[in-house]
Amino acid sequence: MSEPLLNVKDLVVRYPRRGLFAAPPAPAVNAVSFSVNPGQTLGIVGESGSGKSSLLRAILRLVPVESGTVQLAGNDWLNVSGAELQAQRGDIGVVAQNPYLSLSPRLTIAEIIAEPMQAQATVKRSQLRDRAAEILGQCGLPADFLTRKARELSGGQAQRVAFARALATNPKLLILDEPTSALDVSVQAQILNLLADLRVKFGLTMVFVTHNLKVVRHVSDTLLVMRQGAVIEAGLTEQIVTNPTQDYTRELMGYRTESQMI
Amino acid sequence: MPLIEISGLSITLVTPRGNVHAVRSLDLEIRRGTIHGLIGESGCGKTITGMALLGLLPQGFRLAAKSFRFDGLELCDLAVSLRGRRIAMISQDPAAALNPVLSVGRQMDDVLRSHGGLPRHQRRAQALELLAATGLPDPLRVMQSFPHQLSGGMQQRVVIAQALATGAEFLIADEPTTALDVTVGAQVLALLQRLVTERGLTVLMITHDMDVVASCCDTASVLYAGHTVETGPVKDLLARPHHPYTQALLAALPDAAPKGQRLTTIEGQIPPPLEEITGCAFAPRCPKAMTVCRTESPLHHTTSSRSWSCHLEQTNV
Repeated sequence: MSEPLLNVKDLVVRYPRRGLFAAPPAPAVNAVSFSVNPGQTLGIVGESGSGKSSLLRAILRLVPVESGTVQLAGNDWLNVSGAELQAQRGDIGVVAQNPYLSLSPRLTIAEIIAEPMQAQATVKRSQLRDRAAEILGQCGLPADFLTRKARELSGGQAQRVAFARALATNPKLLILDEPTSALDVSVQAQILNLLADLRVKFGLTMVFVTHNLKVVRHVSDTLLVMRQGAVIEAGLTEQIVTNPTQDYTRELMGYRTESQMI
Repeated sequence: MPLIEISGLSITLVTPRGNVHAVRSLDLEIRRGTIHGLIGESGCGKTITGMALLGLLPQGFRLAAKSFRFDGLELCDLAVSLRGRRIAMISQDPAAALNPVLSVGRQMDDVLRSHGGLPRHQRRAQALELLAATGLPDPLRVMQSFPHQLSGGMQQRVVIAQALATGAEFLIADEPTTALDVTVGAQVLALLQRLVTERGLTVLMITHDMDVVASCCDTASVLYAGHTVETGPVKDLLARPHHPYTQALLAALPDAAPKGQRLTTIEGQIPPPLEEITGCAFAPRCPKAMTVCRTESPLHHTTSSRSWSCHLEQTNV
């Protein structure tokens, strides 16, 4: 087996205490360890407050980490700083839940997709538009969308733009935070198919966070179940979904009654 | 007699640009003491139908129907709406439904005072009883709490208790679990089911989530572009969908295809609400569409329990 692309060990994230005399809060992420091999998709499920988002933010270097290590492609990712961090941020792409909130309402789609490429200075100015059109095409939208703005798009189209932006810097790792939960079922199916295509086309390694175990079952190879900041179950997705060891995981399976559960 | 009888409902907003068809031809029948699911994707008209039942259509909307009856009463004719008396609503976001600056006790009391004229101590006892009936563990503490001190699931229970306080027999639940975590949502659905059994309530469950429908509804209707395309008992409907749209919707669920295989998608977009539709609304996206589908309104089929609108006799056989 090749070296994992993302290797997280004993990661602890704790937010600052609320007041000078307040007790320090419980860690938002408590000693979480996992790894993702190149080309694989890791699913993370858990409820609000389970630490999923804090974990993602820590991997994105958006919140300080109390202890633990994160290795990205073998390098100590948490100790990269300054200009080097700036340059390497392009290695991780992000797609958020609500495209209307994550896409600027003031910029055209061309500007939205070009922005990360400009920040990384990887693409010549004269080629930005062509490159934006190319990525947008790979995400299933024709080039005439480039002049539009986010509010003119449907939810599914806007999420495709968010994918295009995330892929603009040729990231090694794609982080997806509930990318389909704001979408209708038929649109969700389109986005999940797109994700499968992109995965093959770019050889993407992905971390997919969701509360929907059915979606996770469809997309992910391995799975983490989080509760109150800790990983309570981890392993191959199919194994966990068909044979969960924790009652909590079973509850997460959704609304179906016992008899309907496989 | 069913509690709700709606047929041929259309809701239209007249604008300078033309008529916006929010609901085009909706049929709905709900028997007493059942939970009926109204399934559909964004823009199919499910929420505005709930609003119409509550008498809360925004200004400018025009409602027309062959019948639009609640318990035999023609709702179109009623000068006074039944909202807050016989019909109550549970919304998607309980945090927005509750007043953030008043305690739960005060908000419960507001409802009871406007409905009964009971003396204060009896109202208080009734509020406690209703909160307990929704499964809140410590009603006394909840009464003294403000909404922000409660979790989402507890807030939704308070909203349900308020709905019960009106004495309403019909609840419209508009995506009541969407803002909640799966496990909490499951508890709220179980509560609604219990209230239906214990108090004989009738519930209209507006949702886009097939799992919600499968887990708690007795019967359901599928809406597409403001039309009721299919109705039937939930188990039968989900196991043997007759209408191509219902079939496509179920095939698009992520557990419909094995991992690694593509999901079936529905090509194209829903018709814009400004568009006049000839023929079947789903025809442009329907894999089984025939020439007749684009020119003639779909045929209406009924069996003892099911009904659907399609030119094909029974499309899944």
